[in-house]
Amino acid sequence: MATASIFNKISDSAMLPERVKLIINDVTKWLVFPLLGILGFLLLWSVSAQNIDTSLGKFPGPTAVFQQFESLYDEHVSERAKEEKFYERQELRNQKRLEKDPSYVAKTRSYTGKETFLDQIVTSLVTVMSGFLVAAAIAVPLGIAVGLSKSLNAAVNPIVQIFKPVSPLAWLPLVTMVVSALYVSPDPMVSKSFLNSMITVTLCCLWPMVINTSVGVASIDSDLVNVSKVLRLPALTHVRKIVLPASIPMIFTGMRLSLGVAWMVLIAAEMLAQNPGLGKFVWDEFQNGSSNSLARIMAAVIVIGAIGFLLDRMMLQIQRYVSWDKASADR
Amino acid sequence: MKWLKPFKRVALATLIGTGMSVSFAQAEELGYPEKEELRFGFIKLTDMAPIAVAYENGYFEDEGLYVTIEAQANWKVLLDGVIDGRLDGAHMLAGQPIAATMGFGTEAHIITPFSMDLNGNGITVSNEIWEQMKPNIPKMADGRPVHPIKADALKPVVEKYKDEGKPFNMGMVFPVSTHNYELRYWLAAGGIHPGYYAPHKGDTSGKIDADALLSVTPPPQMPATLEAGTIYGYCVGEPWNQQAVFKGIGVPVVTDYEIWKDNPEKVFGITAEFAEKYPNTTIRLTRALIRAAKWLDENDNANRPEAVKILSQSNYVGADYEVIANSMTGTFEYEKGDKREVPDFNVFFRYNATYPYYSDAIWYLTQMRRWGQISEDKSDEWYKELAAKVYRPDIYMAAANSLIEEGLVSADEVPAADEDGFRDPQTHFIDDIVYDGTKPNAYINKFSIGLKAGDKL
Amino acid sequence: MSVLLDISHIDMVFPTPKGPFTALSDVSLKINKGEFVSLIGHSGCGKSTVLNVVAGLYQASSGGVLLNGKEVNEPGPERAVVFQNHSLLPWLSAYQNVELAVDQVFGKDKTKAEKKDWIEHNLQLVHMDHAMHKLPGEISGGMKQRVGIARALAMQPEVLLMDEPFGALDALTRAHMQDSLMEIQAELNNTVIMITHDVDEAVLLSDRIVMMTNGPSATVGEILDVNLERPRDRLALAEDSEYTRLRSEVLKFLYEKQRKVEPITKGSETRNKKKTEAA
Repeated sequence: MATASIFNKISDSAMLPERVKLIINDVTKWLVFPLLGILGFLLLWSVSAQNIDTSLGKFPGPTAVFQQFESLYDEHVSERAKEEKFYERQELRNQKRLEKDPSYVAKTRSYTGKETFLDQIVTSLVTVMSGFLVAAAIAVPLGIAVGLSKSLNAAVNPIVQIFKPVSPLAWLPLVTMVVSALYVSPDPMVSKSFLNSMITVTLCCLWPMVINTSVGVASIDSDLVNVSKVLRLPALTHVRKIVLPASIPMIFTGMRLSLGVAWMVLIAAEMLAQNPGLGKFVWDEFQNGSSNSLARIMAAVIVIGAIGFLLDRMMLQIQRYVSWDKASADR
Repeated sequence: MKWLKPFKRVALATLIGTGMSVSFAQAEELGYPEKEELRFGFIKLTDMAPIAVAYENGYFEDEGLYVTIEAQANWKVLLDGVIDGRLDGAHMLAGQPIAATMGFGTEAHIITPFSMDLNGNGITVSNEIWEQMKPNIPKMADGRPVHPIKADALKPVVEKYKDEGKPFNMGMVFPVSTHNYELRYWLAAGGIHPGYYAPHKGDTSGKIDADALLSVTPPPQMPATLEAGTIYGYCVGEPWNQQAVFKGIGVPVVTDYEIWKDNPEKVFGITAEFAEKYPNTTIRLTRALIRAAKWLDENDNANRPEAVKILSQSNYVGADYEVIANSMTGTFEYEKGDKREVPDFNVFFRYNATYPYYSDAIWYLTQMRRWGQISEDKSDEWYKELAAKVYRPDIYMAAANSLIEEGLVSADEVPAADEDGFRDPQTHFIDDIVYDGTKPNAYINKFSIGLKAGDKL
Repeated sequence: MSVLLDISHIDMVFPTPKGPFTALSDVSLKINKGEFVSLIGHSGCGKSTVLNVVAGLYQASSGGVLLNGKEVNEPGPERAVVFQNHSLLPWLSAYQNVELAVDQVFGKDKTKAEKKDWIEHNLQLVHMDHAMHKLPGEISGGMKQRVGIARALAMQPEVLLMDEPFGALDALTRAHMQDSLMEIQAELNNTVIMITHDVDEAVLLSDRIVMMTNGPSATVGEILDVNLERPRDRLALAEDSEYTRLRSEVLKFLYEKQRKVEPITKGSETRNKKKTEAA
């Protein structure tokens, strides 16, 4: 027995390094290799950057880009300081006017200065999310209706199939003209350019979401539908309790797909239409043609990529959270 | 702060007749602006400086105007923005308000109360073309080419390309741009035909009978397009000629100062509707711009380095300080290292640069007629009426007078009250032809290349 | 005993691209209140079709079903169905699955607390109270089927329709479930129609076994009364001669009289045989 317990102890202590080994394995897999990959990329980048001569000087390496991140942040800070002064001056002016003209209703006008890099990031994010949500608000009910009704599906399907492969950028000129024609208001709540970008994003998100939702709805297990029939669930309850949850995994697959594409399209649309956002930032810098422009564009490229990645992760987390079919999120 | 008085409307006469001359006669007090939040468009060019300076120096805010300044992709987008109300006003090519009011291109009644600058453009050719031109240019004692360089030096090159069946493409920024007319003027003066327009036949490409084929490229893209070999040369404003020197991709051969000394360049354009609806705002923004222009030229360009700093911000022109400074501070670099003094390369205020002369508008109209954009003969009266419809010295003078009253501008810095809007007959053209704005038809007939009275394509 | 459910002269014809296919032909069956009836037959003989017609999920081409003298033409909770593969909503816990049914059936008739008690009672009945709040994905097949039964029972149906409820389970679990079902049946005395192709299950659970002929044009072949005493114990019954007799009756029907048609040449023979049987 004594030997056995000793043996046990040995195997216990042998377990410990085993666990450590597992942890080390994980660390290498999730930390060391990615880091090595990034380092290798940075190296390759800085070496090849030195060998590319453009008419605006050498292609920016990692250091130049990092410096631009700093200077972009500094610009943001100094712009905010300017903004504060702008409001101070405005208040003073309003007060003076009120003294002379008591009937004057003082109004605070928003800052008129330039949009910083951070502002442009926020603008793009707000645009892509609004366009995405509008698309979801249209596409999910439509997709459910199409999935539930074979005749509606037959009616809508050709339209969806034709519009789906169209790059939303092709819509952009039409959207711009229609928005200009229809959205006339002396004191608009949102700017036309925002609306243009947003509608472009919406058009881009719409089709994959409609298709995925309708497929998800149409492929619900017939037994579940029978359960609903036996229970005599009213139509709306049927949709709410059975159809919607059953198709959530497919709906989210569609959403993730469209958000990824929407983000790419938005940047292009902003470049094309000069609408505020990261795309405009890139285009402006390209047009400026200053010696910092390429590094700034590269900085924007990195930010665009990182945001695209984070958006996808975010959708994945939401999908994991709301979907009953946990496996679907990994597909 | 005299103007901080209870709201009073400026006396505003109703629009009368074809002259459309709204009288912006100065009332005793200038009222508060009717519209305070404004959005102005510009193209990334150094001559947008008055707008940037009026913003950065707080001149707009002094007038109670909260202005957002926005770069535009190209001249068409900018014009459409003003027409559809997305923009309240913009830095425009002098030809744009005239062409729009006339109905060449998008039709809309655009007016200008303020002329933004004189000169400021250049013609650049690619290195390849420059090498072929160089032997045709006489040299100075130090070996540098004699300026101004005439298009005579380019003519053999164009002919060679023509013989080889290669189209000789050049870029300009807009069909009704100063650059188009300047490039055409220079080419035609050297015997190279830049081509006719025939809008009545639906031909707006301007390549009929052309030796050199001119097409539109947005200013900031000029260097890239030249670099790509799509065009052999271009005419554009600054900093895009100096940019070519810095990048080593081309050589500026002539500035518009040499083609026509102190030629009017950009104007500030707004819709007639805007001026009518917001008379105080219109006068106030003109005041701010006049102050900015004055600041730009003050004390022999003493403020220029500071102006260059403003312009090099990424939200304005955004090019490097050195590139912008090259032309803005009174020099101009031709071939790399061949930097010459051109103190009047950019004139914003002196020589009454900001006053919207009718004769300036008429010069553009004569060129539109010369190249067929106006397809039929028009009477001298027609030219004058159209100029009066677009150019609005009355607004300018209302603004200037109120500035004089406040002591911000002295009376001798602006034209006298009896100014009739026509400059004296102007000489100093590269081909020595004299321009008299009161006799447009006679002027058109003086050119050897170009449509003359009675010609119709 | 009163007739609760009257299935009379049901024909079921499905349209197919190759022309109409007659699945059922003249199926008639009367079921009394409190009776446990099994439908047995080879797969494809249309026993599920019969169940679906009773459930109201299918409409008979001719003939009809009366429940308490009223014609059945749509599904409803008074004819609760236990589906073969449990058909639980995978995004709802066991409790919530039953709750969905209870909310729908009792709506405003029960208070919240009453409903909660009723849901828990039914889950207890199937011994699932310990895993009430688990999702279907987190419990075994047998447990899922228990929840399915609890859901059906919670509707307080007049007839409980079970479509091969234990068909997908392994033998041990199945035996366990059968015992559970007998327990519940002893307590509630429901009227049940159960489809099965397991002979032992049919004999063990039923009061009557309805044996169906092979399709197409399947119909009721023979009906066997099972008068074994309740409660029944599977171990004791294994040696019971009556049980053995009943068992072999069913087997004989299935494997002699209704041998599954295999080669096409034998098809006409079998069909002729069927005709004589029907006569």
